[in-house]
Amino acid sequence: MLKFRRPTGPLVALLVLAAGSASAQDLASFEKRVTSKTLDNGLTVLVCERPVAPVFSFFTHVNAGGVQEQVGQTGLAHMFEHMAFKGTDRIGTKDFEAEKKALAKVEAAFLAYDAERRKAAGRDAKKVADLEKAWKDAMAEADKLVVSNEFGQIIDQAGGEGLNAFTSWDETGYFFSMPANRLELWAYLESGRFLTPVFREFYKERDVVMEERRMRTDSSPVGRLIEQFLAAAFTAHPYRRPVVGWASDLAAFTATDAERFFKTYYVPSNMVLTVVGDVKASEVMPVIETYFGRLPKAPKPEEIRTEEPPQIAEKEIVLVDPSQPFYLEGYHKPSAYHPDDAVYDVIGDLMTSGRTSRLFRGLVRDKKVAAYAGGFPGFPGDKYPNLFLVFGVPLPGKTNAEVKDAVRAEIERLKNEDVTDAELQMVKTRAKANLIRRLGDNQGLANQLGGFQARYGDWRELFRSIDRLDKVTKADIRRVANEIFVPKNRTVGRIETKAADAAPAQPAPAAKEEKKS
Amino acid sequence: MNRFANRALAAAAAALLLAPAPLLAQAKDWKEIPTPPLKSFSIAKPKRVALPNGMVVLLMEDHELPLVNAFALVKAGRRDDPAAKTGLGAIAGEVWRTGGTKSKTGDELDDFLEARAAKVESGIGTTTASLSLSCLKGDFDAVLAVFDDVLRNPEFREEKIPLAKNQLNTSIARRNDEPMQIAAREATKLGYGPDSPYARVPEYATVAAVTREDLLAWHKRNVHPDRIVMGVTGDFDAKEMETKLRKLFGTWPKGPAAAPAPAPYRKEPKPGVFLVEKDDVNQSSIRLVHLGIEKKDPDYFPLEVMNEIFGGGFSSRLFSRVRSDKGLAYAVFGGVGNGWDYPGLFNVFLGTKSATTATGIDALMKEIKGLLEAPPTEEELKKAKDTILNSFVFRFDSKAKILREQAENEFFGFPADFLQKYRSEIEKVTAADVQRVAKKHVRPQDLAILVVGKSADFDRPLSSFGPVTTLDITIPPPPGEKKAATTDATKAAGRVLFSKAALAIGPAEKVAAVKDLTTKGKATVKTPQGEMELGITTQAVFPDRLRSEIQTPMGGMNQVLAPAGAFIASPMGNQDLPGSMRDEMLKQLQRSPVFLAQKANDPKLSVSAAGKEKVGEIEAQILDIAYEKLEVKWFVDPATGRLLRTSHSGTGPAGPATVITDYADFRPVDGLTLPFLHEVSQNGQKAQTLKVEEIRLNTGFDPKSFEKPAPKPAS
Repeated sequence: MLKFRRPTGPLVALLVLAAGSASAQDLASFEKRVTSKTLDNGLTVLVCERPVAPVFSFFTHVNAGGVQEQVGQTGLAHMFEHMAFKGTDRIGTKDFEAEKKALAKVEAAFLAYDAERRKAAGRDAKKVADLEKAWKDAMAEADKLVVSNEFGQIIDQAGGEGLNAFTSWDETGYFFSMPANRLELWAYLESGRFLTPVFREFYKERDVVMEERRMRTDSSPVGRLIEQFLAAAFTAHPYRRPVVGWASDLAAFTATDAERFFKTYYVPSNMVLTVVGDVKASEVMPVIETYFGRLPKAPKPEEIRTEEPPQIAEKEIVLVDPSQPFYLEGYHKPSAYHPDDAVYDVIGDLMTSGRTSRLFRGLVRDKKVAAYAGGFPGFPGDKYPNLFLVFGVPLPGKTNAEVKDAVRAEIERLKNEDVTDAELQMVKTRAKANLIRRLGDNQGLANQLGGFQARYGDWRELFRSIDRLDKVTKADIRRVANEIFVPKNRTVGRIETKAADAAPAQPAPAAKEEKKS
Repeated sequence: MNRFANRALAAAAAALLLAPAPLLAQAKDWKEIPTPPLKSFSIAKPKRVALPNGMVVLLMEDHELPLVNAFALVKAGRRDDPAAKTGLGAIAGEVWRTGGTKSKTGDELDDFLEARAAKVESGIGTTTASLSLSCLKGDFDAVLAVFDDVLRNPEFREEKIPLAKNQLNTSIARRNDEPMQIAAREATKLGYGPDSPYARVPEYATVAAVTREDLLAWHKRNVHPDRIVMGVTGDFDAKEMETKLRKLFGTWPKGPAAAPAPAPYRKEPKPGVFLVEKDDVNQSSIRLVHLGIEKKDPDYFPLEVMNEIFGGGFSSRLFSRVRSDKGLAYAVFGGVGNGWDYPGLFNVFLGTKSATTATGIDALMKEIKGLLEAPPTEEELKKAKDTILNSFVFRFDSKAKILREQAENEFFGFPADFLQKYRSEIEKVTAADVQRVAKKHVRPQDLAILVVGKSADFDRPLSSFGPVTTLDITIPPPPGEKKAATTDATKAAGRVLFSKAALAIGPAEKVAAVKDLTTKGKATVKTPQGEMELGITTQAVFPDRLRSEIQTPMGGMNQVLAPAGAFIASPMGNQDLPGSMRDEMLKQLQRSPVFLAQKANDPKLSVSAAGKEKVGEIEAQILDIAYEKLEVKWFVDPATGRLLRTSHSGTGPAGPATVITDYADFRPVDGLTLPFLHEVSQNGQKAQTLKVEEIRLNTGFDPKSFEKPAPKPAS
């Protein structure tokens, strides 16, 4: 058991941070515990030993998200994420040979039905109805061969926890935790779902996703605002499109489309697998190689070429709605790879973190215009040039205009006054302490190590990013603030409450775009 | 803790990995994969320190990271709130920390702690209030001092109380926005009884009633060492920590002997069928509920297995049968709930589209009764027990988790080995046990069935399940909106004034003859960006049709109220308006003074004289008027009977808004005298001016203009 002689003095915490190489908090200790390997098929694997309890967690990062989708097929990345829980050729089926034929029939029937209903001229309404019935009948037949939710059930029964996944603009992630004696089962399941996924119940699941879109975006005023806001803030780059997909795209894409997306992007050279917990690299790596080595080698997909051109005119989106007012503004900033990336993180932390933050003290405590307010970089992603977002929720009786004025005042302060030494030190201390706090959890560690490996090609950037943050100066903050917080670089979004009874004054729930040039 | 402390060993292992490893045999089928036994793992035991004043401290060393985390659990919960001050606990739980201490303001504490990336935070739940600490180990002494200061010397400074009240008020204003939230809240009321502290929710009036004195008294009554269990985990030496904490807390005197009265709840079930009508949804939120058990009930363990079979994960009956049944549910879960020291609820939830509401309830009742009718199959039993037992390791996969669990056992008087007992008890559960406890603790005859949804769209009327009680979830308005007292004298005086005002509009026969009224004009509307002019033509067809055509610089749209519903039609398509908007439009129609003047002899109309107020230069007399759901104030010139002003309250999303309309430029129209200038203000701010160009009476109406235009054919 390691014992520290307790240091004394004012900067006690930072001394302890500098001192320990034997405790689990820094790059040196992780160097000893992390094994990294690239398999022959291009898959990057990280294994981090953390034998605190006989469990492990993993994270699969796929370097493809909403941004990779083609025009007309938004929503595919997220759709495939749903498909990844449907099982394989062996899991989730009563008879795969029969099911395979049935699914091919479903797809053919859908393509025929879709072709007829899309005819601009010469569409035969009866033919459309017949083809629709044929498609629905084919689906009913195929469904008979499905064993519902078998993938999830196997994990549940084995003692797995936290089965989940997410899709963002930049990437897709899959994760859960298992007792340590289920390593081989996990390897079989996780590699299987990417080796032989089966697009069963595709159109039923597509309906579920459409329902999800309705619940999360269409019936949420803030959801609708943000969707319109992003479409305005980005003119060329795919960050302008929703990850869940435009409703018409969702209603139109096919299982064939989803399979094409999967084949292009779910290739081992485009994926990072991270395992953290009570595992020994020497024992675990061979198991991983056996199962994940089966994924066929394939060329790394091409990166997108479109770059967002500089914004030259301020933009504004005004949504009039019976709900609460809401205010946000976004300013274009460079990607995570830019040398100033750490400066943006410092500005975000200073503006948002806790009750001492600039926005809390300015808007909530002092001016009392907002119920809450925040500001952060990396919206909606950070792999590509993105937005620094600032938002505020007006208190009852306060207006978006008042929130806007208070937000602008805080931004002007950052541009015109140096932050204090104490504030800058607080941000740096917080960053280091928060990193330490994130290291004591298998699932969190797997996410962090794998995430940095996927983004930067080196998991060590998790620690180095904090070192970079430590070097940020007051002058850096002012320089960067003056570069990006300018009117022509700004897109505003706001929800203005429609009073129900004064003679209907403005078009209710429809979004209204006002572009100022 | 670090197995790779030895660099040489690490290097050797790395070398081994670089050599090509022979591929292991892959399993073809998942069932072939062997499961080696999980290595035995002893659950670390915290060190228990009992101070003479009754405070219990549990210490758990964890040297993985240079952090210390601590918490103090206090026997004080939301359930202790007096009824007239529901919300007191929530406010105390917040201002305990934000209000600072005798020597330091909350902001000073924020600065001190944030500079060290440390946290001291307060909170409160149903049964327990807590104070927590998190810091880097080197700062522990300084942060512990802050923790102790907040724990024992909070000041609950006045300046932070409005902020806490605002947050609570905001949650009250929004509590009917989400159907699932409404269902959960109302089901809890049905389970415990609406007056039970386990079901009561804060209201504007109860929040307003909470004072700083109440908060100080709350602290004085509850925060004593003999009501506290403290837990500390992190990178420290347990013996040194014990010495430190004994020194700090040992001299804290015990509290007064009084034990708080247990929170009451209704013990007899109140089965029935209950509806909350919500027009603006296409999905129903369904809850079935009755009382559950306390955790100390010996049936707790077999019920854990039953809950897993019934409504646990992917394999459960609810998930695989009710949800997988095509399109029946987007979410379903349920089970017999337990409270540490009070009964939980047997609580089942189903979310389904409106058109499968009754079918969904049928499916739930089938599964509920199925639990009583037969024991589970051996396969179901094995799956459920495996799921619980195989994931058991996650209950103690961190020192902090183990400590938290032990602290709660200590706090609620459960044995320290409850975690180990859990495992062996689950192993013992048989299929017969599951059916036995189901028969005792799942009682279909006691169930309250609650649906939050749009009854017009249900597949069968809810009454097919029994007589339906409709629940009113209207949020009571904030205090201070007192209506003038209504007496026989004020009613009589009101009638006289009302007649005079009606006559000033026109002779009774002419007023009665008005079937529809069309107003055309230009409205100048204030927006944050400046003024906007709109052309508006509004046709009101009494009693229940209203059509507004609005021309804006951006294009036109129609907003329509018809018996079938309310909607907006614009070049972009049609949009149905929610029930709340339809109600607002109906009230707008009914507020037409001509309409109300027609109701002079209608028993649904009530009027009452309510004092005087100056409107411009004139001392106007005020009439409180109510008709159906409408409430409005008329300000009448007593000399002429002319209606100078009307005022009403809307409940906007940001809270109540008072809308005042002033009338001027009265001109004759077909024997009536009507205003051609309307100035509207909201909450004292000018909102819009309507200049009427033309008013026509009894033009008739085209029913098609009140129907939704046909949707464009799908392309």
